Amino acid sequence: MNKLKLDRITHSYSGKKILDNLSLEILEGEIVCLIGESGTGKTTLLRIIAGLERQEGGSVLLDNEIISNQSSHLETHKRNIGLVLQERALFPHLNVLENIIFGMDGTKEEKINRCDELLSLFKILKYKNSFPHSLSGGEQQRVALARALAPNPKIILMDEPFNGLDRALKFSLRIDTKKILKQNNTTALIVSHDFNDGLTCADKLAIVSEGRITQIGKPKDVVLNPLNKDIKKQFICETGDMLYWKSVIESETT
Amino acid sequence: MKSIIEKTLEKLPILFFTFISLIFLTPIILILTSLFQGYSDSWQHLFQTVLAEYLTNTTILVAGVSIGVFVLGVSSAWIVTTCDFKGKKIFKWALILPLAIPPYIMAYAFTGLFDSGGTMNNVVNSIFNIDENYNFFPSVRNLGGAITIFSFTLYPYVYLIAQTAFTNQSRDVFDIARTLGLSKKSTFYKLALPLARPSIIAGLMIVAMETISDFGAVEHFAIPTFTSGIFRTWFGMNDIVTAKQLAAVLFIFFLSFLLIEKYSRKKIQFNLSLTTNRELVPIKLYGLKSLLATIFCSIPILIGFLIPITQLLYWTISFNLEYFDLNFVYSAINTISLALISGIFCVSVSIIVNYLLRMKENRPLSLINKAISSGYGIPGVVLALGVLDLFSLINIFTDTMLIGSVFGLILIYSIKFYALPNSSIESGFRKINKSVDDAALSLGSTKLNLLKRIHLPMLKSSSLIALLLISIEVIKELPATLILRPFNFDTLSVSAYMFASDERMVEAAAPSIAIVIVSLIPILLLIKILDRNKNE
Repeated sequence: MNKLKLDRITHSYSGKKILDNLSLEILEGEIVCLIGESGTGKTTLLRIIAGLERQEGGSVLLDNEIISNQSSHLETHKRNIGLVLQERALFPHLNVLENIIFGMDGTKEEKINRCDELLSLFKILKYKNSFPHSLSGGEQQRVALARALAPNPKIILMDEPFNGLDRALKFSLRIDTKKILKQNNTTALIVSHDFNDGLTCADKLAIVSEGRITQIGKPKDVVLNPLNKDIKKQFICETGDMLYWKSVIESETT
Repeated sequence: MKSIIEKTLEKLPILFFTFISLIFLTPIILILTSLFQGYSDSWQHLFQTVLAEYLTNTTILVAGVSIGVFVLGVSSAWIVTTCDFKGKKIFKWALILPLAIPPYIMAYAFTGLFDSGGTMNNVVNSIFNIDENYNFFPSVRNLGGAITIFSFTLYPYVYLIAQTAFTNQSRDVFDIARTLGLSKKSTFYKLALPLARPSIIAGLMIVAMETISDFGAVEHFAIPTFTSGIFRTWFGMNDIVTAKQLAAVLFIFFLSFLLIEKYSRKKIQFNLSLTTNRELVPIKLYGLKSLLATIFCSIPILIGFLIPITQLLYWTISFNLEYFDLNFVYSAINTISLALISGIFCVSVSIIVNYLLRMKENRPLSLINKAISSGYGIPGVVLALGVLDLFSLINIFTDTMLIGSVFGLILIYSIKFYALPNSSIESGFRKINKSVDDAALSLGSTKLNLLKRIHLPMLKSSSLIALLLISIEVIKELPATLILRPFNFDTLSVSAYMFASDERMVEAAAPSIAIVIVSLIPILLLIKILDRNKNE
């Protein structure tokens, strides 16, 4: 069953078309990674899905119900969509517990139990009473993820969630994120410029270029059968170092 | 072996700090020692008659003004920062204009407007053809009137601070909050206000201090407060020792106020550097909403600036143009010279102090810098009494008569307002990356050259802001100037007070309007510099 459907979304800024008839369908529990270079409208698309911006054309459907089109627009706070940003955007005046229960309903006990559960999943339970500024970048990103998941959103949107972290941390956080999303059967749309995010986390890769999706499929299929030279080039640029060293090591051992 | 000169040079910063702290802190210490002198019968008299009234009035005044400036300052700052409406660009700086009108001048204008036979009552009576003795507007010579005039003249402190706080809040944080279920309206109460709380509290503290310190306005409205009580005890009961003891009590009250505020801020301290600098995108308002925003932002400017200015101008042009004679020129020159000399002195001291702290971080020295910045929270009358004590001591030990000299005025302005240039210079130094110092030193620059060729040019804008900030305050200062001015030495504020205290409001208008115009110059320059700095 479709969880999210984007139907011919069009949007422009100062006369420049950012999204051009972009369509995409995401199934329940599926993790889709939207890959594209900077300025290809990925973040704008997430803002449109979250309701923070209104598209010029096309429709957004959540659970087969229109939440935004030309005639209607459901406000952001009524959509129950989780959002995680590269900048984390944790509330600096609240501690970790207060950040996580910010968007939750229920009794205080229920909220605290849910918070503990998520903090344990993300392995940061000991920071429950800490303030965001005392946490490292990776820990802050875990809190941001936990906060977005806490109200059990219908879908979670992530904008470059692993950017700005060191390689080792990125690697472990990608794996943890995928594991937790799958455990909770949470539908997710990740946007990134980094192929590795998609390869590690996603069930599907969607390549976006010039405001529309140029290729979509399982990560293995997209990587092995790139539809055009640009996608191939982008993949090689992202993973080039690894391939180069692999060839050096292979030539030295033979 | 180090030579004596080298050893002396090494100790120079400590000697400088000791000298400055002696000058700045001795008056405060001398006032506190008055508590250990004998207590006269006046105390019992005060206790039995007016002390409770002083305390009650002061408390009501501070509470009322705090609510008033909070509503005016925070809401106008929020509207200007987050909405786009007709005239927004003008309102952004025009909302600061009431800062040019000291509360006592606003009080003079308000009595002229709303007293029996005042301009506004006359206008209403003639429009509706009512008996000319009928008072349509209630009297303003009461606590309610005082709260109104303080709120409309002091709200720019909160407006400026809140506007900066709201501008620095990140769009991302608000976006996330909305995805977590917060409606647009509740983001103000549940996110923007809590995030700006430390800044708003700091603004309210400044307002509270200004309200308690005021003498001119409460005296004009005949409201007995703690500060006016000190004056009455000294000049009315001729008891300077009790006046000093009252001043010491007021200082202790202030100190506890400051400590409580500091403690409460520590509890809610958080690091805003976490948030990104992606600014909030203003919401475009149309039709009725845009009109309402325009009306709301016009009210503080109208009541806090345009109406009083119009009244003062009317009085001056109609009846008192002859005030602008040679005496006026002298008063104006005295006022501007005092503002400039005190400003340049304070800016120089704060540059040296902050440079020395930058070169050698030292906790005791940094504590001393904080202590000498605390004068801003002490009422002018308290400091003036302390400076008089210091001068008496100097007179006893060195036979030098400083009482009634211009030096006393410059000293008191420096002690009272040092915090303003210091915070500006401090943040100016903070903006210069320490690696710039390392680069200059590695290129063979001496430490003095580093200050001259790198720091001073980079601190140009901060120094100018510091000079303007202190100038605005010195031009408006009244109680300390009244006590310490040399004989026959008038400033604009003293001239205005002298006329107003004799109820010669028409004559008081000319020096009042001159104060406003002279204060407006640094304020407009300040707005221009801050705007330029923001665009850079």
